[in-house]
Amino acid sequence: MDEVQIRLRVNGLERRGRVEPRLTLADFLREHCHLTGTHLGCEHGVCGACTVLLDGAAVRACLVLAVQAEGREVTTIEGLGTPENLSPVQVAFQENHGLQCGFCTPGFVVSVTALLRDNPDPTDEEIRAGLSGNICRCTGYQGIFKAVRAAAGNTP
Amino acid sequence: MTTPGGPSTALHRPGTVGEAVAALAAEARAGRPVELLAGGTDLVPALRTGTRPPAAIVALRRVLELRVRGAGADTLTIGAGVTYTELAGWSLSPGLAATSRVVGSVQIRNCGTVGGALGSANPRGDLLTFLTAAQAEVLLTSEDGSRAAGLDDFLSAGRLPGELVTAVRVPRPSGPQTYLKIGGRQAAFPSLVSCALLVDRVRERVCCAVGGVAARPWRVAEAERLAAADVDWSTGTAPAALARRFGELAAAGVRAASPLGEDPRHPLEYRVHAAGVLAARAFARCLTARSAPRRESAP
Repeated sequence: MDEVQIRLRVNGLERRGRVEPRLTLADFLREHCHLTGTHLGCEHGVCGACTVLLDGAAVRACLVLAVQAEGREVTTIEGLGTPENLSPVQVAFQENHGLQCGFCTPGFVVSVTALLRDNPDPTDEEIRAGLSGNICRCTGYQGIFKAVRAAAGNTP
Repeated sequence: MTTPGGPSTALHRPGTVGEAVAALAAEARAGRPVELLAGGTDLVPALRTGTRPPAAIVALRRVLELRVRGAGADTLTIGAGVTYTELAGWSLSPGLAATSRVVGSVQIRNCGTVGGALGSANPRGDLLTFLTAAQAEVLLTSEDGSRAAGLDDFLSAGRLPGELVTAVRVPRPSGPQTYLKIGGRQAAFPSLVSCALLVDRVRERVCCAVGGVAARPWRVAEAERLAAADVDWSTGTAPAALARRFGELAAAGVRAASPLGEDPRHPLEYRVHAAGVLAARAFARCLTARSAPRRESAP
């Protein structure tokens, strides 16, 4: 076998693993780290449900190999908030009907968190462009858009 | 678990260009199929579907030499590992920046690299259309040394076994540049038809390439000759009628090229027409008097 040892930080905690080089980061997070909040929708880089932060940059975890995250910091939805202590973006999604079935929601929340960190006061057009890498089949996006607008107003 | 692709794969993690080409050469000598891994946005789906089943992968992230951008007196050099996100804000090349801003979604732009675009050589690739218009040179290194290849030669001949794309080199801008494209939802689909146009006010010429119609991004030489002859180079402007004529010649030029495979939903005749419309629009944005101050723009 050609497994390789990797070491990375996930939500602030060091994680080690022996992985096949072709194992995706999404599968490493879900299967090795048991962090199943990173959802897998299309698995070919279109739907955005698996979006995580890699050294702070939003990436699709189904298009990144686990070995590419070696030595880096990964933030998943579990690292952004907890049920008892939701992040401002999660609160805004809850209050503005930004989710329905919830499957796509982790990816949206991670993408929006990065968007508002880099651009705390986005225009409507910038919000739409920022959401374009994530697909939701339930909400029609209007609730999500309102949630981002609300979160932008509430994020310090 | 969905570990993509067939049997197990060896991983090389070089730290320098020298180590990377040594790994490539060793795999080539062993006769084993090897893939280069940059951002992974093209390779990882191909691993999953099995369309690219390598025995070995050379992962390039640790090769810091590939992530450098440089500006010389006449040229800009962009390392193969530079991402679209890094290019999107690069003031030294407004055309490259405009092109990079409209590639995929932010998640793709954060990963996808210049070298990956050249390695995948998708004929609809946004960056390839721009680099074709910009007359880019591709810099390659192997164990035997380094060479520069014109982009068109590179796209027709490809890499030699054991070669690594280290950078691309483009002339420094000397006038307005733009990149326009049409297609489905940008974040989910590659562009259908694209057009890059660069005005060179020093050499008094226009360079324009169209993607998504011919088998490779295609320079529209007749249209370029019209522009060189008829643009008022003292002001860098042209009348609106010239933009229309430029678009007609661009469409006629690309129609004559060897076509990209037929696509029933987007017939060739439609893509030829769209290419002419985009070329006329790009010309007008860069050269008609009303919008001449605009140096670059997204669609």
